[in-house]
Amino acid sequence: MAPTTMRAKASKAKSTTAGAGSSGSNAAYKTTITTTSTSTTNSSMSTTAITPEAPKLKNLAVYRYATWLEENQLKKTAIWISVAAAVLVRWIVGLGPYSGQGTPPRFGDYEAQRHWMELTIHKPIREWYSDRSKWWDLDYPPLTAYVSWLCGFVGDKINPEWFAWETSRGYESKDAKLFMRSTVLFLELAIYISSIVVFTQRWFAHKPWTRQHTAVILVLMQPGVILIDSGHFQYNTVMLGLVVWAVNFFLADQDVLGSVAFCLALGFKQMALYFSPAVFAYLLGKSFRQGFIGCIWKLIKLGLAVMVTLGLLFSPWMQSQEEILQVIHRIFPVFRGLYQDKVANIWCAVNIVIKLRERFDIQSLVRFSTLATLLSFLPSLIHLVIKPTKRGLIYGLINSSLSFFLLSFQVHEKSILLPALPITLLILDEPAIGSLFNIVATFSMFPLLKQEDLTTQYYLLLGLWIWMTTGTFKNVSSLLKFLSTLNLLVIVTLHLGEMLVAPPARYPDLYAVLNSLWSAAGFVLYWVYFNYRQFTMVNTPKMGFRISTKTSKAYKLA
Amino acid sequence: MQTSLFVLSTVLKVLLFPTYHSTDFEVHRNWLAITHSLPISQWYLEKTSEWTLDYPPFFAWFEKLMSIFAAYVDPKIVQVDNLNYDTLATIYFQRTTVIISELVLFWALQRMLKVMGNRPLQKIINWSLMLNPGLLMVDNMHFQYNGFLYGILVHSLVDAKQGKLLRSGILFAALLNFKHIYLYIAPSYFAFLLRAYCFENSGNSIRARSWISAFRPLNFLALGVSVIAVFAASLGPFIALNQLPQLAGRLFPFKRGLTHSYWAANFWALYSFADRIMIVLVSKTPLGQYFNLTLDESALSATTRGLVGDTAFGVLPAVTAQHTLILTVLLQIPSLISVFRKPTFDRFIGSVVLSAFASFLAGWHVHEKAILLCTVTMSVAIANQIGASPNSGVNAGAFSTSDQKGSSPLTPQDVRAFMIVSLAGYIGLWPLFFTRPETPIKVLITAIWFVAIGSGLDQCVPKQPKSAETTTMAGHSSSFTNRSMLRYFSLLERLYVFGCIPVQIYVNIVHEAVFGQDKLAFLPLMMTSVYAAVGVVYGWLLYSGTYFSSNKALDKKKTR
Repeated sequence: MAPTTMRAKASKAKSTTAGAGSSGSNAAYKTTITTTSTSTTNSSMSTTAITPEAPKLKNLAVYRYATWLEENQLKKTAIWISVAAAVLVRWIVGLGPYSGQGTPPRFGDYEAQRHWMELTIHKPIREWYSDRSKWWDLDYPPLTAYVSWLCGFVGDKINPEWFAWETSRGYESKDAKLFMRSTVLFLELAIYISSIVVFTQRWFAHKPWTRQHTAVILVLMQPGVILIDSGHFQYNTVMLGLVVWAVNFFLADQDVLGSVAFCLALGFKQMALYFSPAVFAYLLGKSFRQGFIGCIWKLIKLGLAVMVTLGLLFSPWMQSQEEILQVIHRIFPVFRGLYQDKVANIWCAVNIVIKLRERFDIQSLVRFSTLATLLSFLPSLIHLVIKPTKRGLIYGLINSSLSFFLLSFQVHEKSILLPALPITLLILDEPAIGSLFNIVATFSMFPLLKQEDLTTQYYLLLGLWIWMTTGTFKNVSSLLKFLSTLNLLVIVTLHLGEMLVAPPARYPDLYAVLNSLWSAAGFVLYWVYFNYRQFTMVNTPKMGFRISTKTSKAYKLA
Repeated sequence: MQTSLFVLSTVLKVLLFPTYHSTDFEVHRNWLAITHSLPISQWYLEKTSEWTLDYPPFFAWFEKLMSIFAAYVDPKIVQVDNLNYDTLATIYFQRTTVIISELVLFWALQRMLKVMGNRPLQKIINWSLMLNPGLLMVDNMHFQYNGFLYGILVHSLVDAKQGKLLRSGILFAALLNFKHIYLYIAPSYFAFLLRAYCFENSGNSIRARSWISAFRPLNFLALGVSVIAVFAASLGPFIALNQLPQLAGRLFPFKRGLTHSYWAANFWALYSFADRIMIVLVSKTPLGQYFNLTLDESALSATTRGLVGDTAFGVLPAVTAQHTLILTVLLQIPSLISVFRKPTFDRFIGSVVLSAFASFLAGWHVHEKAILLCTVTMSVAIANQIGASPNSGVNAGAFSTSDQKGSSPLTPQDVRAFMIVSLAGYIGLWPLFFTRPETPIKVLITAIWFVAIGSGLDQCVPKQPKSAETTTMAGHSSSFTNRSMLRYFSLLERLYVFGCIPVQIYVNIVHEAVFGQDKLAFLPLMMTSVYAAVGVVYGWLLYSGTYFSSNKALDKKKTR
């Protein structure tokens, strides 16, 4: 019988890795293996899946679908179907309005991206960052500019009107929208979606295929990313995808390539800085373990990789100090303020009580927020230097990006996509937690999406996500159950309230404020939880990313 | 599983709200207005809008039911003179009614699972029908209510399978009064119900003498009275109003041409294509003089060739409505005879498929959307068969026919015919969406469907006992067989499937890039139609082949 042979093969693979890989034999790990083998013998006639944790996943419809695929030997085509479905959903969402559609004079993010394409194809490279046309200055790092140039170049060939110098400001047409949408989707497919597929293959390399496939589907259906990139219009997935590629390389111990990929992410969107403490700590900690010479050599290699990558990216503006300062000034616009609109972070929450922006000048706010950010990611940073495991890296990414989101200067509500990425990557390791986080994160972006008339898409994708992951809450602690139910209740109440009851005239932003308060509270809890997780998780030596404590233990804490 | 199907299909359909909707959207809005604001006597007379009510009365009542809610949503929807009204609320409302009405299909599919067996094969067909690219394109994008109507059809077919023939007949009669396109398959229903319900039915053919003794007058009466009652309920008011000729004129507008706006993928597409080739041959080469062919100059001057209905042929003889009718009937007769001889459900569903094909291929003014009639009934026919349950690997060859009385195992030919007809038919629907944003959607939903359902059905074909032996001898059953999706397809069929890709790349991208939007606009449409027609005709031949040969085989088995 086919499934039996495969099961036997899988358990064989497991025992060989275990035999090869345990000098410091871990008791918990061994029990996992023995339970696996007994379950193999027991279930040879039944169709249940292999691992002991599997029954929990059975509550997930997606997992049952993957199991069904495996039983019916449909694994081969499955990944194509999932990827195609993900692309289809993104494209359909893209039929909706984009940021700033039909809202002169400034329009929105869409116009910014379009203008950068216009700018880069019409101006010499050295003027990209010093152009003073008073229209959406280029304030993203060079890789964005290069990608804009490429998109602009192709678009210009199709229809020169779309990106004509000056006359195309605020240009809107169905075809232009179509072109812009397709550039997002194409880049997302090439960088983000591919990275997710590879990540799940690596992360679940020694686990059944069903888990891997479940993870692919869940990660690709993460609502926030779809709504912001394909709905609102941005190229976040390029940056996020490059970060995942970096993680993929780190998982394969290709640290130099990983750093290059990470630098490219940084070079695409400065927001990738949110992740940099974790990446830095992980690489540093790993180098320290190589012995003195090995450490120096590794640091030199990594340093060179970083410098060469960033140097190449910034090389056109390297000729004078002024120029490079101009680029940096554009990329880090501290003058813009502590935060934008309503964002679910600590400053915005505190601001309701203490009017920070009026009390303090910008300089001291910058200093203070930077210090606070630093302090909040320091614990996880230190832990990662001491214990640079692969699983720890992911938790480090979560903690540092959450710290930045909660405490750093100039945060957008969209930045929640950054912590959401590593949390979603752990979707099968922390299923309920990851699901809940994405619900809160998507909810926190609702005011933005509402502004852009993307509410239908928002409700559908969030609803789909809740439905897809609802099975994860079946076997969790009552505290987590309570929290998730409360969260849903609050979300539904706020949405219904907004629909039915107009906010009082004194507080026109009431719902947006309540939204950001509730989300901020949730994100603070998450910061506490993930810091705790980073310090308490038990790692088996060779396979940094294998979790050996029963996941249920983790739930109890919540 | 079924909850998932429900949730996913609903989410997808709601996501499709902002997609392009055709004039059919306005057609249905207008019908909402007509049925809401006007008395019955005016329904089939009203012609403020060019989209007059041309569906049978039950559908008009259905519109009236919806219009009650429409008036709540926005009273402007139901104003007769409020033409081309498509505010966001109107779109959301009408699209929602489509989704809700399609629950009838969902319900029918649940019953199908219960009656035909709840195995992988049936589940796959279930998913295939609920997330069918054809239905998604025609209903949830283009805008029609086919899911609802096919739901009634599937209900009726499931009833027939269960042996509840009277109910099946009544449902079908009602369906005819919702949309008269189902007349295409009415002959099969007639033959089957007459033979299976109105005569003694022991599953064997009746000898010539015993016809009279086998007749069951009570059943005949029951069926006749109920069908007449259904029609009376529908047409009665209009007979009373003396509007029957007007109604008939609306339902059967024979003034329209042989082909619909662009060619449906049928014989006439091939015929028209042949004519175009002949025109070129005759005018450009001396062949015409050699064979003594003449050109009809008036046909040549028609600038709208290939685009607009009224097809005039340049070289080949003209085709009249009578010709198409005769051809259709001729094509339907063999399968009708086979049903009449031995009225099993297997034969019935097969003959329904073949009737649908005959009408689609040879009918007068056939819409490309009518291909759904072939593919939906084919799906039910496949669900009626026995599939291997793939996880019982070794035993696959030893399926027993006892658990599904009268059903035959799924054969590779069935799968091939079904997949090719579906692919060709759905690609034949693509020209409905000429707007660019919809291009990736139509391509993706068709491709996903083809790969998912194709590979799924592929696993459901029971292995022949012979091959099962060889695999057990080899020791490992699954790794041995090549599980590629198109493994049953012949070389030509594979070529056809993969040939779609370059043809559609040309049609959707290259043509416009080379010739611009207006020049030679008929060429891509013609290419799509002809390519699709080849597939549909091929699939029909393949399906007919298996239908008649399997009937013969079954006959032989019985006599032995």
